Parts: sequence; structure tokens; C-alpha cells
Amino acid sequence: MLSRNAEALFWIGRYMERAENHARLIDVYYHFTHDGLGAEGDWRAARIIDALGARQDYEQRFPSLQEEAALTFVTLDRNYMNSLFSCIAQARNNLRTLREKLPSELWDALNSMYLWLMDLEPSDQLLDSPHPFYQQVKDRIAVFWGVQQSVMMRENEWHLIESGKYLERAENVVRILRSVTFASHPDETAYPYWLALLRSVSGYQAFRKTYADNFKAEPIMEFLVSNLAFPRSVHHAVSHLEQHMKRIEPGDDAHVALRDKVIRKAAKLRADIACLEREDFAADRIDELLSGISQSCMKIGSLIAESFFRREEATA
Amino acid sequence: MLSPMHQSLYSLEQEYDEMFEADRTVRPHYEKIYRHMMAGGTEKLVRKKRFAERRMLEEGITFTLYQTNEQHPLERTIPFDIIPRVIAASEWALLEKGIKQRIKALNRFVHDIYHEQHIIRDRIIPRRLIVANRYYRQEMMGIDVPGGAYITTAGIDLVRDRDGQFYVLEDNLRTPSGFSYLFKTRAIMRELYPELIRRSEVCDVEQSLNDFLSTLRSLNPNCRGEPTIALLTPGEYNSAYYEHAFLAQQMGIHLVEGRDLVYKDHKIYMRGINGLKQVDVIYRRLDDDYLDPLAFLPESVLGVAGIMNAYRAGNINIVNAPGTGVADDKAVYAYVPDMIRYYLGEEPIIPNVPTYILARKADRDYVLDHLPTMVVKETSLSGGYGMLIGPSARPEELREFAEKIRREPERYIAQPTIRLSRAPVLIGDQLKPRHIDLRAFALLGAHERINVIPGGLTRVALKEGSLVVNSSQGGGCKDTWVLR
Repeated sequence: MLSRNAEALFWIGRYMERAENHARLIDVYYHFTHDGLGAEGDWRAARIIDALGARQDYEQRFPSLQEEAALTFVTLDRNYMNSLFSCIAQARNNLRTLREKLPSELWDALNSMYLWLMDLEPSDQLLDSPHPFYQQVKDRIAVFWGVQQSVMMRENEWHLIESGKYLERAENVVRILRSVTFASHPDETAYPYWLALLRSVSGYQAFRKTYADNFKAEPIMEFLVSNLAFPRSVHHAVSHLEQHMKRIEPGDDAHVALRDKVIRKAAKLRADIACLEREDFAADRIDELLSGISQSCMKIGSLIAESFFRREEATA
Repeated sequence: MLSPMHQSLYSLEQEYDEMFEADRTVRPHYEKIYRHMMAGGTEKLVRKKRFAERRMLEEGITFTLYQTNEQHPLERTIPFDIIPRVIAASEWALLEKGIKQRIKALNRFVHDIYHEQHIIRDRIIPRRLIVANRYYRQEMMGIDVPGGAYITTAGIDLVRDRDGQFYVLEDNLRTPSGFSYLFKTRAIMRELYPELIRRSEVCDVEQSLNDFLSTLRSLNPNCRGEPTIALLTPGEYNSAYYEHAFLAQQMGIHLVEGRDLVYKDHKIYMRGINGLKQVDVIYRRLDDDYLDPLAFLPESVLGVAGIMNAYRAGNINIVNAPGTGVADDKAVYAYVPDMIRYYLGEEPIIPNVPTYILARKADRDYVLDHLPTMVVKETSLSGGYGMLIGPSARPEELREFAEKIRREPERYIAQPTIRLSRAPVLIGDQLKPRHIDLRAFALLGAHERINVIPGGLTRVALKEGSLVVNSSQGGGCKDTWVLR
């Protein structure tokens, strides 16, 4: 497989996962209401913008936080590289360079989603009825993953897409958690806020089953970081990333050595997470923990790039 | 045969219509198709056409249109007409023979030019026409290309004049495009009219993809078993990117960009996640100029530095060979009938359109006197750019072009305007006559083995009265059915 193709595959996984996270998160926060909150639309806008790490780009374009502007910006803006639309467009562009290697059904699923988004005017569907819109986005992304799951050969192509997906998932969850710990609203430890946080990563029902009514910061953080059975936890994502990296068929010795470095780094992060105790999630330690995980993820990302996408430079 | 509604709306005028005789009866080879397609009325055709357009968009059968005022390039589907263009078996047999004859002569011509240049020494073609040609590649002198094949892929543009005679209008010998439309339009037509295609005994085109691959495999310069073949594309932003991906997928060959390739020890390798893999045959969809920054344009980032060295060392084959453009120049075109006589000792089966070389005084004077009836083309441009169509030009355009010709006569050739034949096209919900041409594709493998894909791409000038069929100028296409 060409290095360029490997990179494109990895990023298809990342972009699709990112788009899915966007849809879920925006949907939840846009519909968030709380008695104390009144009509504070700008709070909602701030939560969305911060949880997606979009504040800097947003402020360059708009003078103030405004709900509708924020919603269209993170969803359909064609010039913002991280909007939901851009993620889908970039995933499609990558897939376009690989069409000859992947099942055509995968292209059909992604291309039809792209064409649908292309035709959309912000005013019609999105602002009129955001919830059905995001629901449809999630459904279409689910079709993509469904096709991938059911027809793709379990070869290097598959493992690269999956690796991208899981690395992105781990980073996303950590970013969302960090945006909560930085949030300044006085009331944010209240029940509805925790509920929204869990829902934004589809973890509400799963949390309920595991922790019943224990709605507090530590158990929620612990659940989203280290519950191995919950598919959107950091622990789950990192351990799957490690598995997929192991299954990529090695070429020559130099390649094996590089890939093993990625695996070691992922294995270490997984083991660190597995060893966490409830105390590690306490308010005075959580920032350090999350920023440590975030740095490890970034390191894994750059090691993957070195060993698969830019091998020449790495071995030179 | 025509229903009263059609009678009044579909005018034949004095043109040659592919479907109808001058007395409005349907030509015999169109009869089955006419009856079947008109049976449901035009509403049914409109519905089917919409279906076809949606399929093309969903499958991403697009070309990219770059506009200076748009931030994002537009991906467009080529306008597709669902009424096929039909060619009778006997007529095709002759065209096929004529195309093979032409390709054989052109290929020998390119070989001759880059070796002894007999044709110049025997004063059939003036030397000046060759050495001043911008597609002539000094670097190719004396190189023996694998299998003796220079023009592996060729697109021959054929037109039918008012009297029903076919002419060759142009030879496209620098890796022409359009293959994917031919195969995809057939696939869509098969979905739309499955029994009609079966019952009409239409020649299959699928086999041609296999021929294409066999042709590329036959041109392997290395003898170490299975050849590694790659299609070199300028990348996803190239307007024909869909075609590149399609051909690579269908033939099971690698799709690579310049940055995927690396030159080492006079060989070319692909950079993969498992290291380097040697490439034997490159089917490049890139002009000579961009192929190798060391040999040609130094600023090119699309090609591979060193590929010409590897080529000269005989470790890789480049398809089409560099320098084939010397034979598809519009001034050289005028000499193709002479080439056929010179190399093959045969009379041309398909004639050229009479061509005036404006560097010659007699030709120039004649053309300037008859400019409103002429088509003038710049010798080095293609795609319908830099062209004057006399009959439809405004007086000031004529004056402007006359001035250009007087200033630089050697840059232009002229031909009498051919009234391209017409065929019915669905415009809105009505059948309208539109001018068409035919790009036929030929594949040349080792030892002059030539395959012509049955039919080709029928291109349609969608604007009423227009004679320009190029997709870059708003042309569309039709599926082409050759009957068995």
C-alpha cells in the first residue's frame, strides 16, 4: 500500500469519527435547557464552541457569541476546516483517491451524504429543526460504518481506518472532559449539566446501568475515561487502537521496529488508564490527568505518521 | 414513422441526420431502437434521463471545472443524452479498418522521426514542421521503446459531413481522455434499457478493458514475472481524476501521484508502507512537460525527477511514449494521408478533412478570401480553444483572426467548415436535432497489435446550431452502439 493511501485511510477514520462526535455533541447542547439558565443562548453557543475546540476560529470570524451563527459555523461552514461539513468533505476527498481499492458501497454511502450536505441551505433544514437534522447526520454516518463493518476486507486498509477512528475518539472524549473542567458557569455541577455531558457522548444509559444515581464529577469522569466496556471511553478506544496497530502486516525489519514503537506507546497509555483509581479523578488532579492523556494521544498520532506516512524521513 | 407531433417539431433541414433519412423515414439500423424508445412517449424518456443523471452524480462520474471567481472548484457531471447513437455493422467495419490503418502509420511515423527520419529525407514532410514542433522531444532520439509502441492509447475524432461521408477531424495521441464515460454510459444504459441492448445485438465494450490491460502488460520492459503497472495521475484536482481512478480500479493497477514515486539506481519505485516496490509500466495521464523536472519543465511538481533516466536505461516503460505529440500537431495532421501511403503503401480508408497550411502563401490567400466559410485552428491548442468558426463568427472576430493569421501564419491551419451530422437529443421534453462527432479509441500493444473499442464516445454540441462538442465548452455525450 502507498504511504499516501495509508495516510488517507487513517484520516477517513478520524474525520468520520469527528463528524459523528460533532453531531452528537451539538445536538445535545443546542437543546440543553435548565431552569436557572433562562434564555442564555450564548452559554449554549459557548459550550458547543469550546467542546469542539473552535473558539479561536469562531472569534476570528464573528464579533460575539451568538447561537445561530455558532450552530451554522460548526456545522455547515465550508471554510472552517473542522466543521461537520468539512469533515465529511475531507473524508470523501480522501476516499475519492482510494476508490479503486475500497468497496464501491463505501463510496456510495459517503458520497450521497456529501451530496446531501452540499445541497443544504443553512436556513432550511438546520435552523428550522436542528434535532431531526443531526439525527439524520448520525444515521448516515452509521450507514457508512455499517457498510465498512460488513463488506470491507480485514486487511491493512481496514486496520488503518479503525486506528484513525479510535485515536480520534480518545482525543475527542478527553477534549470534551477538559472543556467541562475549564467551564466557569457557577451552576455547572448541577444534575442537568452532567446529564448533558453524558448524553453528548451517548453515555447516559450506560452510566446509569453502572453507577445508578451517583451523579458526581469523579464517577462520571472515571466512567468516561476508564470503563473498558463502554465503547466511547478513552480506555476502550486506546485498547482498540493498540489491537489494530498490532494487526497491520509488517513489511521489512525497519518497518516492524517503527510500528512497534507505536504499539508500545499505546500499550503504556492503556496500562496507565487501567491502573487509575477513583482518587485520580478528584477535582485537584483531574486537569493534570487529562492533559497527560491528551499529550500521549498526540505522541501516538505523530508516531503513526512517522512509521506509515513519512517513512523516508523517519529512517533517513 | 414519425408521430405528427415529431413531424412538426423535428426539422431535418439540409443536414445529415443519423436517425432519419431525408424523407423522414427511420434509417434501418435505428428502427428497433426508435420504436422501443418512443413507445412510452417523451415523458418516459425524461424520467429515464433524470434517473441517469442522478446515477452519474451518485457514482461521482464527474469532471472538475475550475472557475476563477469561485473558491471551490465545481464538480460537474457531463450532460448525458439517453438516446444512443447507433452505427451499422458494415459502416463500423470500415471505420475500424481505417482507424487501425491510421494508427499503424502514425506509430511508424513517430518511430521514424526519432530514428532515421526517412520521411523527411524523402521530402514527404518538411523538416521545419518537425523540429519547430513544440511536442518534438529531442530526448527521444534513438531510443528503442518496448514493443515498438509509441501511441499506445489514441483518440481519433471522426465527423460525418452533410453528404454522409466520415472524415478524421483530429488525432489525439497524447494520452487522450474519455474512456471512463464510454464504459460508464454503457453501464447506465444497460440499467435503463436492458432488453433493448440485448435484442439489438449491440457490440460489447467490457472486453475492451481487458484488452487495455493486456496491452499495458504486453509493454513490460523487464522480464521478472508479473509486471507492476501504475497509472500516474496529476492528482484529485485534475479535471479527469474520476477517469484515472476508474481505469485504475477496473484494470486492477495502482493509482499513483508523482510524490508516491521515487527514482533510485535508474529504476522507479512506489513508496509504500512496506517499503519500496519497483514499477515496470507507467500509464501516465500527464503531459510530457510535467513528466520529469530534470528533463522537461524544471518547476513541475507533478512528475518524478529521474523518470526519463530510468526510461532511457530501459527499466521502465512510459505509456504513451514521450514525444508522441509530434504526430498530433494540427499542421502534421495534414500529412497523415501521405504517411499512410509512404509507410504502408495503401490508400487512406478514412479521408482527412481538406486542410490548408497557412504558412503557404497560396493556401493563405485562399483562406483569407473565404474566411467566413472556414474553421481556423491554432496548431498547438486543443479542447476547442483558440478556434475560429467562420460561419458563426461576428465580422469583428473575422477581422481580428485575419490579422492574427497575417501576423503569424505558421501558427494556424484552416479547414472548410464541416456540417457535422446531427442526431436527436432530448432537450427539455422534446427531441431536437444537435450536431455530434465521434471520438473512437484505439489501443496499440507490442508489435503493432491494435484494438479499436467498438463505438467510442459520441460527443454532442448541446447549443442549438453549435458545432463545438468539447465538454470544456458545454458539450454532452451519448452512448454509442455498434450493431453486430
